Amino acid sequence: MIPMWELIGVWTAVLMTLAIYSFLYGENPWYRLAEHIFAGVSVGYAVAFNLDYLRDQWVNKWSLSGTLVLLYMIAIFFGILWYARFSKKYFFAYRWTLAIIVGTGIGMALRTVIFTQFLNQIMAQARLSLWVPGDLLQSFSNTMIAIMVPCVLLYFWFTGPARDRGPMKYIEKFARYTMMAGFGAAFGYTVLTRYSLFIGRAQFLLGITPNPPEARMAFYVIAAAILITLFAKDHLFKKT
Amino acid sequence: MEIPLLITAFCALLQVIPYYLNIPVIDAASGTMREWMLLVVNMAVFVGVISLGQVHGKRIQRKGENWPFSVVLIAFMVFMAIVGFPLENIGLGFKNNQYLFMFNNILNPLGGTMYSILAFFITSAAYRAFRARNWEAAFVLISGTIVVMSNAPLFTSSMPFLITWKNWIFDVPNTATGRGVMIGAALGAIALAVRTLMGIERGYLRGGGEE
Amino acid sequence: MSILEKMQNIDRRYIYLAAWIFVLFPLFFPLGLPVPIGRESVAWFDYIEAIPDDSVIIVSMDYGVSGMPELYPMTVATMHHLWTNCQANNWKIIVLAFWNQGPLVFDTLLTQIDPAADYNVVYGEDWVELGWVPGAETGMAALATDMWSQTPRDYLEDRPLTEYPIMAEILTADDIDLVISIETGTPGLPEWLRQWNDPFGVPFIVGCIGVSVPGMAPYLSSGQLTALLPGLTASGEYELLLNRPGLAVAGLDAVSMSHLLVVLLVVIGNVSYFASRGKEVS
Repeated sequence: MIPMWELIGVWTAVLMTLAIYSFLYGENPWYRLAEHIFAGVSVGYAVAFNLDYLRDQWVNKWSLSGTLVLLYMIAIFFGILWYARFSKKYFFAYRWTLAIIVGTGIGMALRTVIFTQFLNQIMAQARLSLWVPGDLLQSFSNTMIAIMVPCVLLYFWFTGPARDRGPMKYIEKFARYTMMAGFGAAFGYTVLTRYSLFIGRAQFLLGITPNPPEARMAFYVIAAAILITLFAKDHLFKKT
Repeated sequence: MEIPLLITAFCALLQVIPYYLNIPVIDAASGTMREWMLLVVNMAVFVGVISLGQVHGKRIQRKGENWPFSVVLIAFMVFMAIVGFPLENIGLGFKNNQYLFMFNNILNPLGGTMYSILAFFITSAAYRAFRARNWEAAFVLISGTIVVMSNAPLFTSSMPFLITWKNWIFDVPNTATGRGVMIGAALGAIALAVRTLMGIERGYLRGGGEE
Repeated sequence: MSILEKMQNIDRRYIYLAAWIFVLFPLFFPLGLPVPIGRESVAWFDYIEAIPDDSVIIVSMDYGVSGMPELYPMTVATMHHLWTNCQANNWKIIVLAFWNQGPLVFDTLLTQIDPAADYNVVYGEDWVELGWVPGAETGMAALATDMWSQTPRDYLEDRPLTEYPIMAEILTADDIDLVISIETGTPGLPEWLRQWNDPFGVPFIVGCIGVSVPGMAPYLSSGQLTALLPGLTASGEYELLLNRPGLAVAGLDAVSMSHLLVVLLVVIGNVSYFASRGKEVS
């Protein structure tokens, strides 16, 4: 028999899970409750990690020399300016902190995006062999990619009336069919992800190892209770 | 508005220049800036707390719609923030029992369930809206159905050719689409970054009820 | 209302109920369907088997509780694979996370697996956990140039890194031979590639949720990504390759039934649509 606190934890987890799933029947107070609890806990959760990081950095690095202490104090100052966003009068100060974050972020991404997401992809495209000896399918596939990628690019670059003129009419159609096939694949994988998440929750509700077996009884009891309350609410409103 | 634009440009160039030019002083400053910036980012920890507190606090004050739920939200938020405070010597912190209880038995199931509920909506949408109304929709339908079937051992064990078809869809049209979009997005990101550096793009600085 | 019209306007709650039944049934009564092994799981397995001796490997827990059902099984299987071969190949394994829930997810793994007892690996010598590194892409860049500065203490025992022999010669991304990122979104592979692969040439393999898989295709095709483990089905195949069926394999019957439901609904939906259109025309 598991300790009482663990049992309470299991029943709480099952209640939270089924309260969210009760939305499938319709909007109801169980769902509202779980939604609000989730919002509160999510926001409160991050506080621990962020403050722990600030404390650790101070102890292990920024308190070790006068210059670093000064830099840490300046960071605290700019960090406090985050909260200027809640004031109309001092909102301008919040922009300074935001500018530091945005500027550094842009710099970080800009310096290598041209390689990772542009040049490397162009090089991969250029390396495609249109004729692979002994492998007709690969040759066909490479040729298709060699045609599809420029078509997709041109589709996004030439919009509006430009798409109705000359060769763009055919390029646009070919690009759309390419993208539709690609989006179909995205749909297929999305189904896998969403059902995988649901299956994971279902395994928990049924207490399948390594999930606690006590969850199954909690599932039966709480599911029955929620369904009864939902049917009763529905039925009573209909009657009145 | 000018000071933030100068700050943005300075911070961005401080990251970009040392990557291409070997200037040790700027390189060291760039590295320190990255670590220093993380301190500033982490100081924003209470922004979410205050924002939620403002919205739901007003609702409680005015006894607005569903205000009892707002009480629950604020209670859980404050409790989680307090028990997670890094004061291990008085038993608080992210290894505190109450914090772990909330994470394992509330945040964990709620987070997983929130995203999994989309499985039902996607199924309902597949039945109601996924129609081969024209050739383009037919393309989506066919490739989508092939990928769905090839992700299920029920189909692939009896029809192994589905895996070959899925691999082709993944390697050819999907890769082509992804590559085209990626190259286009990269060019867009570079253009946006340059515009931001030059001070033309100022959207991120809006707000506060001015201009 | 004709039967075709009724079919097209069915209350969506019946569809939800069907989804519950199709998923719960194989969990109550496992079907034991055979599982063909796909190329992705073979490539992942072979890649890990072929990691050279004396390699330093980062395992990055780039997901939170929302991705656990799909990514946790592959995390368990991958750590099992790494820890099993760790000492024989003299691998050094560093576990960290760029998602703040990552360390807590790994804590869950450690309640189910005891690396010291199950694999004879020594914490601090064979593997270490550094915890959450904040800052997303900026944090990745900072970590790449100075790992000790970003994570001065370990996560599990909260001791300085100076006390762990494993970290003695691991200072920057230059000292890392492979990054295994198990991820669900941002920060993820694009950020890793920009800050670790392009500047330092560190190779990557990624395990991700199904939704992210189509976006990985260009990286896989260009060689920036060496191997990909896409979603729960591939995780189950990987568990079978390891001869260690776990949570992923346990869920594969339910994956099959749920996907069967989707296919059936798509077919029925289209048949009723075309039939009703045919009736309108006639």
